[in-house]
Amino acid sequence: MATLRFNSLTGTLEKNPTSSFSSNPRLSWAYFQCNNKGERRASGMTVKAMGAAKYKGTQMREKKLTEMIEKKVTEAKQVCEGDETSDECKVAWDEVEEVSQAKADLRLRLEIEKKDPLESFCQENPETEECKIYED
Amino acid sequence: MAVCSAYTTQSLNSTCSISTPAKTHLGFHQKQVVFYRRSSKRGGSGSSSGPCVITCSAGDSQTVVIGLAADSGCGKSTFMRRLTSVFGGAAEPPKGGNPDSNTLISDMTTVICLDDYHSLDRTGRKEKGVTALDPRANDFDLMYEQVKAIKSGVAVDKPIYNHVTGLLDPPELIKPPKILVIEGLHPMFDERVRDLLDFSIYLDISNEVKFAWKIQRDMAERGHSLESIKASIEARKPDFDAYIDPQKKYADAVIEVLPTQLIPGDNEGKVLRVRLIMKEGVKHFSPVYLFDEGSTISWIPCGRKLTCSYPGIKFHYGPDTYFGNEVSILEMDGQFDRLDELIYVESHLSNISTKFYGEVTQQMLKHADFPGSNNGTGLFQTIVGLKIRDLYEQITSSKTAAPLEATKA
Repeated sequence: MATLRFNSLTGTLEKNPTSSFSSNPRLSWAYFQCNNKGERRASGMTVKAMGAAKYKGTQMREKKLTEMIEKKVTEAKQVCEGDETSDECKVAWDEVEEVSQAKADLRLRLEIEKKDPLESFCQENPETEECKIYED
Repeated sequence: MAVCSAYTTQSLNSTCSISTPAKTHLGFHQKQVVFYRRSSKRGGSGSSSGPCVITCSAGDSQTVVIGLAADSGCGKSTFMRRLTSVFGGAAEPPKGGNPDSNTLISDMTTVICLDDYHSLDRTGRKEKGVTALDPRANDFDLMYEQVKAIKSGVAVDKPIYNHVTGLLDPPELIKPPKILVIEGLHPMFDERVRDLLDFSIYLDISNEVKFAWKIQRDMAERGHSLESIKASIEARKPDFDAYIDPQKKYADAVIEVLPTQLIPGDNEGKVLRVRLIMKEGVKHFSPVYLFDEGSTISWIPCGRKLTCSYPGIKFHYGPDTYFGNEVSILEMDGQFDRLDELIYVESHLSNISTKFYGEVTQQMLKHADFPGSNNGTGLFQTIVGLKIRDLYEQITSSKTAAPLEATKA
């Protein structure tokens, strides 16, 4: 059974899961209706599952890293066509490794820590573009 | 109890934070006074004509420095999390600072990512044709100066390498913690940095396991395929073998991760054989052992008292030599399935530096969702964390016992 906790400071609803989430950090949206003695209260509030990104900045980073991985793999294949042992080839694959690891780190952080990496930054800077709550 | 030492600072640059005693951002117990001596000589080699700094720090504020060599990203790795958890508290990025900072801070520990000492950003490396593994892409002078400064109780402005943009971001202030962990590709590469380390660890992942892990990591990514993952590992291998791998002979502890020998032909990388190679004769570090120190033993805990599911668990312990050093090796092959297996194993290990019976098990359970929690990687990382805590306590208790010293400027 999941419990809902209303965070009045940020105005978001956070759901505390008792089961672990899938490894896909993409958002899953759900609408929850608070039932009080059989009455239906309209929620218009959306609930973001913990373990997925909350802020726009994190969503942007995830997207950027995904695109970079694709792009850099293609680049590396091109560069290495000529000479696989060349410096350029080494560097190209090293870049692929770097962004792959960065993406994996972000994913791990979201899954294991179940907290958006921008959390503390956004507490201090809620008005920035990066700190808008992500909306699909 | 205070110890005052005098330094001449011929290399006063922007990374050195010397301030008047009125400023308190330097850290806990620091007081510094800078004396400038006027000299008609300009430049030259004269360290005697430079400003003289007298640093006074309280005896127990000396920072203990741990080095961790790993090729698996920085500061966010499981090992770091387990380590900081042993000391209590969760490690978090600096509050309110650069959101792409690689640094982790908890009550007792600060973890610094050595990628922050890249002298070349992504574009620069591309231009020069060097990978991040290459020493030419890293500023070892700065690394040495800043680690030395933090160790002696001086806060530093450390650069930030942004792994998303590939750029070097404006620096962040690092205040001296009780324990500083420097994690990255080259913690033991430079001899001067090596000498600053109170303890060093090398995480040695075998090629087969590395390949299996990277497949798990990357296969879900749109851009990747088996070929691209393989090509990436192959392309980095020459630099890795030339610059990173040789550091393992300097490490006080090596955690070697190999494919299991319990399942013939297994290449999934899920069941692992992990070896904890511990150097003998390291100050404040007594190797973990099974049954009796210095003897050789093979142990299968599963049997009448303990039933394990396939493929079971196998331990080995014994003395050996490693790159010319005397070592003791504790090895675990297989997986834990249940809590009681873990407790049973823990109760038969010696010198694990726990503060109470079951502490290793408790730590492992606390992070049951971390990768490696059911095998030797989690077990040995946790044990190394406890050994580091023990090392820290030994060092700090020996420092407070030291007599008062004063050195003249």
